[in-house]
Amino acid sequence: MDRRDFLATGAMSTAGMLFIPGNLLAKEAKTENSKRLVQTLPYKRDGEWKEFELYIDLHTHEPAPGYQYHTLAFNDMIPGPEIRVNAGDKVRVKFINKTDLNHTIHWHGIFVPWRMDGVPFVTQLPVMPKNEFIYEFVAKPEGTHFYHCHWGTLMHMQAGMFGSLIVENPNDTIKERFPYEREYTLVYSAHDTNYIREEMNGMLERMKQRSYLMKEGRFNSEQWAVFDNKEQFTASMENGYQPPYVTNRRSNSDLPQANWFTVNGKSYPSTPYLFIKSGENIRIRLINAGAETHHLHMHGHDFWMVADDGVPLEHPFKRNTVPLTPGKTFDIIVEGTNRGIWTFHDHDTRKVTNNGLYPGGNLLALVYEDLPAEELVISKYSGNPMYNPNAGMGYMKGMDTMKNENMDSMNKMMFGEDKLPKIALDE
Amino acid sequence: MILISGLTNAQITPEFEIGAKGVFSGNLNFNSDESSAVSDFSDTQLLMGLSQKLYNNWRAQFVLGLQFPDANSNLGEVFYNNIFIRLEDQKNVVRVGRTLAQTNLNEFPTLRDDDAQQFVYALNPFSDGINTERDQYSNVLEYTHIFKQRFFVSVHGENFYDSLEPDDFRLNSMGISLVYQVPQSQRWNRNIVQQIGLSYNNYFTDRPGYSNDFESSVKNILLSTVLNIKPDPINFMDFKFQAIQNLGWEEVTQLNDYFDYTRTQSTSLFGTFRYLKQKLERPHFQVSVGGGYKSFNDLTTDSDQLMFITNGFYRMGENFDIGIQYRYTENSGFTQTLFGKNEHRLQLSVVYSFSKIFNKQFGDREDLLNLEHNYIK
Repeated sequence: MDRRDFLATGAMSTAGMLFIPGNLLAKEAKTENSKRLVQTLPYKRDGEWKEFELYIDLHTHEPAPGYQYHTLAFNDMIPGPEIRVNAGDKVRVKFINKTDLNHTIHWHGIFVPWRMDGVPFVTQLPVMPKNEFIYEFVAKPEGTHFYHCHWGTLMHMQAGMFGSLIVENPNDTIKERFPYEREYTLVYSAHDTNYIREEMNGMLERMKQRSYLMKEGRFNSEQWAVFDNKEQFTASMENGYQPPYVTNRRSNSDLPQANWFTVNGKSYPSTPYLFIKSGENIRIRLINAGAETHHLHMHGHDFWMVADDGVPLEHPFKRNTVPLTPGKTFDIIVEGTNRGIWTFHDHDTRKVTNNGLYPGGNLLALVYEDLPAEELVISKYSGNPMYNPNAGMGYMKGMDTMKNENMDSMNKMMFGEDKLPKIALDE
Repeated sequence: MILISGLTNAQITPEFEIGAKGVFSGNLNFNSDESSAVSDFSDTQLLMGLSQKLYNNWRAQFVLGLQFPDANSNLGEVFYNNIFIRLEDQKNVVRVGRTLAQTNLNEFPTLRDDDAQQFVYALNPFSDGINTERDQYSNVLEYTHIFKQRFFVSVHGENFYDSLEPDDFRLNSMGISLVYQVPQSQRWNRNIVQQIGLSYNNYFTDRPGYSNDFESSVKNILLSTVLNIKPDPINFMDFKFQAIQNLGWEEVTQLNDYFDYTRTQSTSLFGTFRYLKQKLERPHFQVSVGGGYKSFNDLTTDSDQLMFITNGFYRMGENFDIGIQYRYTENSGFTQTLFGKNEHRLQLSVVYSFSKIFNKQFGDREDLLNLEHNYIK
């Protein structure tokens, strides 16, 4: 026996198949789906201000059943809650940092006063552990935008510090041209959960040391690797200081390689469904809050590109695949013209994976609510004669087990209630 | 039982941890029975660990390590000091195989692990003392339960190498240890006490004239502590101390050989003060000073041992240190007969130490995320 085969049972776990029956049009499916959509953040009125409260804390997140990791989250959810205001509203956001790390909030695409832009050491000091900061701005321009942490952005953003910010225009030209009632916000991201874990542990440990020095008033620029100006920086180097990015000090050669790809913080099979009816228009707001490009392709439809970075397009145009690059937002209108259940996914199929296994990632579905029940029966449409009772396979020599009367258990396993979709977790 | 599957491409690549330590020194011995050495690379070692998650939230690690022993150790060129499997979950650890025995509860800042061996280890009463490895390493079967992340209760059985019966692999020692240990990542939360340990070991020796297993055994008790004198990230100071009371056989009143040395009653005390200067969150230099005293109450001739040891290390770059160590040992009475006269030893050294985990897949129990923000299985 080859020693290399010793306990090679890992293979068996992926060889198995798991099908879970479900009915997308059931009431339970819609209730469940509401948890997969972004949650709108309520506000309080303070005179002419709309006052929101965002806090950041460590959070245990589950992108798909059975897999959890530690991460950062606004108001204990990923993405953070959606801030939805009207153009011209005065917006006040009280930001509370409950973590032991530094943070800021950057309002991506919003014309904020520059001191409200959330870039540490450029527009403000970082919001330090257990501290608060009040952001105030007038909501403009209209459109689909988002907010995210701008401290340690490489890690903090992929760890979950992002959320949508929608500035509505009561006289929305898009809605005038493509009347719609329902709209969806889809926030995309990509996460290297191993990188997140290692970086968060490293940062938390460093912060303990630094907090100790801060309490004693001995924390200085060199320990923080933050300098007032270039002259101070170069003078420190002449005196023996070495920046952490040099290869003989602390440089990290391992850039993150995303292994989880999420929509609204969820990966397939936990991704949201987009419900539509024949003849209906729905608006989908696409936001890329991650560092990977997603080539989003919709099956069975061309959709209207109606806004780019929140800016309404004067001449909307049709596409069925759109490259959603990092930091980008697009608004699209889907017309309900082709009844069915259609997948909407990244055509860079490396990102339709969970920890390296396909299918997963940002795979989701556009579901027509007016799909007749009989069309949901999948076995009728199977080309495999095995599932066709009239194909006569059971009468072939040696195929007794394929007779109709013997197929109940097989069909039950394969189709369950015989409704779409199944959750297929195997290749 | 070996299970195989035809789907070999579905294997999960493990976490791969590699650790290496290279210790190279030139030794100048004065007034010693032992010759000086131009290039001593003993205690150099390589350690490899392969870790994976199991299906039931446990984790397993296979560890393989080798060490270059002293030239006159009778162990050959290479000694495989670590060959074991560790199974663990959040609160339980099981170790099976050869590794460090729990006959030392503290790690002292000396150039080599065995520089103060006679003071800091409960010594193997089955060993002829030709090498130090047979005192440090044994075939172990250990179970440890962890309470509240910091209290480790361990019961363990060992097969220590028996110089007279080298092919006897039966259990010849059992013990229990209770250790309070602050995780490394939380040391800034604790000003003084980093570790307190208490251990009891019972060696199943054949004591002439005694038939009862317990009465015929050699027993010892260890008490250990690590105190943060100054938990400062830049100027760090600590004090480490360990006491070993060997409840040996009172009838051993002379030390004719190493067996007598390990089986007579003795009291051993050893402590070190360490100052570590850290620059830019990396070690810069370290100096330590320490000493030990060992007394023997039942011997017919006054005998004791004394050690003074001091060293300093300077970090030349990541993982590379140069160092100097001075050690003075004084033996009197029977210990002088056994181990030679007083000795001065000066060592100039270069040390390389490295540890890195590749293909990381899961966090460690001592990660702050696990310790402070719930354990993720």
